[in-house]
Amino acid sequence: MVMKNVKTAHFKQSEKQGSPERSEGGSYFWQEKQGSLERSEGGSYFWQDNNQIRGMASEEGSIMLPSAEAWGKFPWVKKYFRQKPKEGFFLWVKEPISSPLLTRICISSEKIFQNPRNLIFLAKNAQAEISSACWSTKESLTGKHQAVGKIVLEENSKLLIKEEQRWGEEDVVSVRRNFWIGKGAELSYFFRCLETPGELRTQNNLYLQAGAAVNLISTVFAGRGEVKMKVVILLNGEGAKGIWRSRMVSDQKAKISARSRMIANQAGTGHVDCSGLLLSDQSTIQLIPELLNKNKNASLTHEASVGRISEEVLNYLRTRRLTKDEATDLIITSFLGEEEPIIMENRKLKLESLM
Amino acid sequence: MLKVTGLRVKAEEKEILRGIDLEIKKGEIHALLGPNASGKTTLGLTIAGWPLYKVTAGEVFLEDKKITSLPPEKRAKLGLALCFQHPPVVRGLLLRRLLEKISPGKEMTIGKELLDREVNLDFSGGERKLSEIAQIIALEPKFVIFDELDSGLDLENLEKLTRLIKERLLENGRSVLLISHQAEIFRFLQPDFVHVMLQGKIIHTSSDFKTTWETIGKYGYEKCKNCPF
Repeated sequence: MVMKNVKTAHFKQSEKQGSPERSEGGSYFWQEKQGSLERSEGGSYFWQDNNQIRGMASEEGSIMLPSAEAWGKFPWVKKYFRQKPKEGFFLWVKEPISSPLLTRICISSEKIFQNPRNLIFLAKNAQAEISSACWSTKESLTGKHQAVGKIVLEENSKLLIKEEQRWGEEDVVSVRRNFWIGKGAELSYFFRCLETPGELRTQNNLYLQAGAAVNLISTVFAGRGEVKMKVVILLNGEGAKGIWRSRMVSDQKAKISARSRMIANQAGTGHVDCSGLLLSDQSTIQLIPELLNKNKNASLTHEASVGRISEEVLNYLRTRRLTKDEATDLIITSFLGEEEPIIMENRKLKLESLM
Repeated sequence: MLKVTGLRVKAEEKEILRGIDLEIKKGEIHALLGPNASGKTTLGLTIAGWPLYKVTAGEVFLEDKKITSLPPEKRAKLGLALCFQHPPVVRGLLLRRLLEKISPGKEMTIGKELLDREVNLDFSGGERKLSEIAQIIALEPKFVIFDELDSGLDLENLEKLTRLIKERLLENGRSVLLISHQAEIFRFLQPDFVHVMLQGKIIHTSSDFKTTWETIGKYGYEKCKNCPF
């Protein structure tokens, strides 16, 4: 099902070479032509605009459905959603899928309350890559996005999620996800939000069984509002490995708080690496890493730092012919692990080639 | 090429350079010797336009253009480059990306292993110098200041680096100021002139490096004040 004539959508995605978000060899992209937004080729995808599903398709080896429909169709889904969800998607990946799966959820009208409840289920030995985006199409729609996600990785499955969020300054966003990572399963999750809403709260709880591995990387540029992030990783099986790496930049009056809780119930290894960069005197970054080790053979470590742009580094780059603004931009984008330039103009963050 | 006249410089209200006069012509290599804390690095950084140093008197000229109040990037655009003794770590910035920024599309002079690492993060002494020289080559400068190029390097690596400098930088009449307090580097890069700096002043200038160095070795820097050469 593909809906056309969508005037408000301005989202584009293209392949980027060299970035961590790059899709190897994929040929999927959204096209915006004469007011239409459509998938150029086949493959699983889900697109929700405001509270309406605008497009959806399933590729062989996976089932993509509205969560509400999956709730009625598959009894086991009720284990994850006690009540019938009204919004959101259900994705069941049954085998390795080479092309990326796309999920798009946007707010395009004023004062929308969005409550997507998503379930991603990877069967044993399945593999998938998901490109996910949530955003508002304009700066001041005053939308509310309250998402709940359940992600299940069965034994030896592999999932790569690349998630991009971009919001207006009046939006309020809350994202809460639970991940169950089965034996030997692997999750790589890249979360990026370079245009934060007025309020952004994220909580990710990850439960790892024996031999499971999680690599969670969060990148946030907050030029306004308040960002509260919380990550809880439980190493519940022997040999489980969990890493959370976050890079946060706060500017103007933005406030960022990042809490992490790494708990070793079994002999696993966990590491938290959080760094923050302050660009103004009015902004704050608070990092609270917590390690709780209940097993003498487990190893938990953390490193955390918050600082300003180093004058020494700035001047060093200036001796390499970069202007002060160019050097500042390079320092920030490098810190965040971004390849594309972030251009700050009139104190408003603009992004080139967002996706 | 480069001319410094009556240069006095302060940092945090403390005067470090106390009247420097120096002229380096096109294609010349000048050595600047001096003990620790004599002001050698301050002179190099001031010429490069380091904003933390305040020029209280005097001027700096590059090819007859007054650059004393220009910011570092403008001096670099005019052809001035500084090879740092202790370059800072730039977190997240790959050397490859920096070199591409400096000189888009230009061939990289060093291996992939170093190019794909964050600038100066966990670099060995030799890698740090190699990274600096690669940046200097990318800048294609007219005038280069090497600040303690030999520090932290064994002789073998020093020879390799100086060979690279000779092959890639010293052609086309580039001028060089070599700051050091050790003699080894001058075995590989022979200076046309040598200056000795002490307590923020150049106290001795000569075209005879060998005699100057032997005198320093015999009597120490202090005696250079009264050196007859």
